[in-house]
Amino acid sequence: MKKLKGLLALLFAFTLFAAACGDTSDEADDPTTTAGDDSAETTEAMEDDGDEGEAPETTEADVDLTQGGDLTFHMITHSDDGPFWSVVKKGAEAAAADVGVTLVWMPGNNDPGKMVTDIATAIGEGSNGIAASLPSPDQLIGPLQDAVAAGIPVYTINSGVNDYQTIGATSHVGQTEFIAGQGAGLRFNDAGATHVLCGRQEQSNVGLTERCNGLKDTFTGTVTDEFVGLDADQTEQINGIKALMEASPDIDGFLGVGPVIAMSGLTASQDLGRDVVVGGFDITPEIIDAIEAGDVAFTVDQQQYLQGYLPVVLMFLEATNQNTAGGGLPILTGPGFVTPENAGAVKELVAAGTR
Amino acid sequence: MTPSTTRVADATAASAAGGDERLAYRGVFARILVRPEIGAAIAAVSIWIFFWAVSVPFGLTSGAASILDVSATLGIMAVAVSMLMIGGEFDLSAGAATGAFGIITLLLVRDVTGEMGGAGLSLWFALPLSFLLAMGLGLFNGTLVNKTSLPSFIVTLASFFILVGSKLGFAKLLVDQIQVGKMNDLAIFSEDRASDKGYAFFNRIFAAEWERNLHQWDSRDAFYTFGVVAGLTLLVIALYELRFRRKETQNMLGLGVCLAGIVLGLVGIFNLHNTRGTQGDVVGAGFIGFGILVGFIGLAMWRYESLNDRGGLTLTADASRPLILGLVALAASFIAARYFDSQNSEDIFFMVTEQGLRAILFVGLGATAAVFLLISSSRAGYTSQTARSAVLMLTALLVAATAFFIRAESVTPKFRTQVLAVMLVLAALMATWAVTTLLFAERRSPDDKAERLGRTLVIVGSSLAVMGVVARMLFVVQAEIDAGAPPSKFSVRILWFLGFTAACAWVLARTKFGSWTFAVGGNKQASRQIGVPAERTKTQLFMLVAGAAWLVGTLLAFRLNTIQASTGDGLEFEFIIAAVVGGTMLTGGYGSAIGAAIGAIIMAMAKQGIPSSRWNSDWRFVFLGVILLLAVIANDFIRSKAEAAR
Repeated sequence: MKKLKGLLALLFAFTLFAAACGDTSDEADDPTTTAGDDSAETTEAMEDDGDEGEAPETTEADVDLTQGGDLTFHMITHSDDGPFWSVVKKGAEAAAADVGVTLVWMPGNNDPGKMVTDIATAIGEGSNGIAASLPSPDQLIGPLQDAVAAGIPVYTINSGVNDYQTIGATSHVGQTEFIAGQGAGLRFNDAGATHVLCGRQEQSNVGLTERCNGLKDTFTGTVTDEFVGLDADQTEQINGIKALMEASPDIDGFLGVGPVIAMSGLTASQDLGRDVVVGGFDITPEIIDAIEAGDVAFTVDQQQYLQGYLPVVLMFLEATNQNTAGGGLPILTGPGFVTPENAGAVKELVAAGTR
Repeated sequence: MTPSTTRVADATAASAAGGDERLAYRGVFARILVRPEIGAAIAAVSIWIFFWAVSVPFGLTSGAASILDVSATLGIMAVAVSMLMIGGEFDLSAGAATGAFGIITLLLVRDVTGEMGGAGLSLWFALPLSFLLAMGLGLFNGTLVNKTSLPSFIVTLASFFILVGSKLGFAKLLVDQIQVGKMNDLAIFSEDRASDKGYAFFNRIFAAEWERNLHQWDSRDAFYTFGVVAGLTLLVIALYELRFRRKETQNMLGLGVCLAGIVLGLVGIFNLHNTRGTQGDVVGAGFIGFGILVGFIGLAMWRYESLNDRGGLTLTADASRPLILGLVALAASFIAARYFDSQNSEDIFFMVTEQGLRAILFVGLGATAAVFLLISSSRAGYTSQTARSAVLMLTALLVAATAFFIRAESVTPKFRTQVLAVMLVLAALMATWAVTTLLFAERRSPDDKAERLGRTLVIVGSSLAVMGVVARMLFVVQAEIDAGAPPSKFSVRILWFLGFTAACAWVLARTKFGSWTFAVGGNKQASRQIGVPAERTKTQLFMLVAGAAWLVGTLLAFRLNTIQASTGDGLEFEFIIAAVVGGTMLTGGYGSAIGAAIGAIIMAMAKQGIPSSRWNSDWRFVFLGVILLLAVIANDFIRSKAEAAR
């Protein structure tokens, strides 16, 4: 869904292009590299962070305590308040209500400039915790480091898995594309597929490529990874997939790395009368209907509700109880899967706005 | 007017008869080549042959169905946009508009109880209503362009952004999604409601499909063979009728020879049809080739005057240079085919496999050689008919040699039989043409009777050939079912595409509005001074494009059931590119609707051919760019040659 956002942004205005790209490129990076060697360093950094943060934190906590625990958290994202981000917002609001804090939701609408100002505003207002997405790291790392220096607990959400340690953020809450792709690969193994076509709807989107790379990592059969046409021209997409399927008659699985392209893959395989296991990414009403009908095997869900809910709770615990979750590693919200078994339940939750 | 043997004499005769040079008679090839769509047509055929050769699924009927499917929506828009471009304007909102009208229709029919989410109208009201909105968009664009006198590039760029924004904005406001669906909900709801709001009816009109595997016709191949052979024969006869000068009294001996040739040809065809294996094919092809030679010489003996002044066998430097270049290119293509390994499918450079490079080099150099040889023969003809025929005969022999070379060098059946047969027939036709043009006189003056007959033959011949090919695409035979033919679905979209193209071509060529379109695009000021309602014409052209966008949006809504907010965004440039590839000029005042349709087919073939050939999709746009560049260059080259020949 976020990829879709990125695509939309691209088509809206070329000026937003950089933002959209940055968004996908940083979240796509292999999590294993961040998890491996750096962990020791990370812990140190985190301790530094804690030490630095402690002095002002305590004073502020004192103030807060005298005011009766009235904490204010800021959630500063590149949200366009579309279907994806409105779920994140709902999660954050629910958590704020559950733990009894004030939440300020600041949507950047894919404009990193606005996010920079929002971060400055949050620091100026004496925020008790900032959760920020990192669509374009170069512009946002500096301001968030300022926030950390000001003793404010910072979490990155959704995108920023590569840079949260540089910032000095406590942790990152999101999904990494590679791991999501790995999850999809295991599903295809279970379904008994031997040759999966990983269809991409954008040609140079690193996030989408990472999803396919994750698939290649865990899937035991052959993977063909191709760009097959933009979502804006679904006719071409469907026929491109058909051409590839006809060129390789042994293709028996299709992973569309977005919800629209997954449906195109389904149409193509139905047109050809081929028995193909179709998987997709992200949630639309259409793909859930297709999963419910048994035409699509699964779709990968990054459960963005968690990306709103968890940071609020984590910041609350950090502010009130000095807890730091994650152990320096990112906290993953996905991949969750929507399959024929849970499609009916998920459909109701989508209608309720929490999936 | 007295027929004369040289161009100079002809021109003198024309001026003596009070004619003027603008009415000078043009030969049949000059007349074909000067049409704006001819370059695109040649490019389209070449690209089809190329991908047919390098990919298996591309040449199948299912491949053709896919190409037509992609061309249909692209082509409708390209044709409308080419008319607007002929009228001297651009519409950058055309791409976004296709999705917009799909979304509007869906929002109008969508019915969600309890929330905002659709007007719940019947399709009978929703479709005309969204069409009215489309007309409104066209009126808006046209009026703005006329009133502000700003370039339409800027004005419609603004409409583009407005449309892109409203698509997303309204979709999210009304249904809280970045996509709007679903058209087929109407059918589902119809089960528990009295009416499906016209879904069944309109679905047949906009999304009916012909499933090939359900339509078996076992004498299809006989019909196909008859249609193609008879059709092509009539076309070549038409070429003769248009090229040669009729004689006063017909020679009945010639008719006899002609019939003998036909019999020989038929024997060859039956032989091909009833034998299996390459040996039978060669014998069959031999009979056909000989039949062609005898038949057409007979035809010429029967009807046309013989040529007296043939000139000597001397080649001017002008003609011998391309001849040498052609021979070198052909030799190089043979060497390339021998040197590279046809079985090696590993990458040798970063983007192409060895067998792919071999195919590209062989086809590319071979095509270059053919072009050079034809140029050489045409230039030789300026001075001497003998020289022209000699070069043409040499070319025919080289085509035949290449045919056997391909057979010897390849293992795939399609190269060993089909390519061989087609190339041998082509070589026979060329050789026959070389002989007959040497022996019989060219007509250099108008002859109404011959032109009428020629035109009738062209229409009948091309209809027969097209019917044959269409029959082969639409029907399946038992043998194909046994071999497990992949399902091919032909959509009614293709008929919309063809119908829309035909209508636009007719309007451009035959109506006052068509003439006005050319006039306002050529020179708006001048056209207004001679009484053309320039502003009204332009506004109507914008409305035509918006109407086409409505049609495409409706077709997509029935096809995909759900329309994305992003649907169509960015495709406006593809429409313009298709129009330009099809021979429409960016500067306005020149172009053709049929050309734009062919341009769309070229783009669709390139887009389908790349995945069909399993070329690395990372390089897709490089391939697409090269193919389009070649198509445009070929088009421009042919046009400049034709203009020069005027």
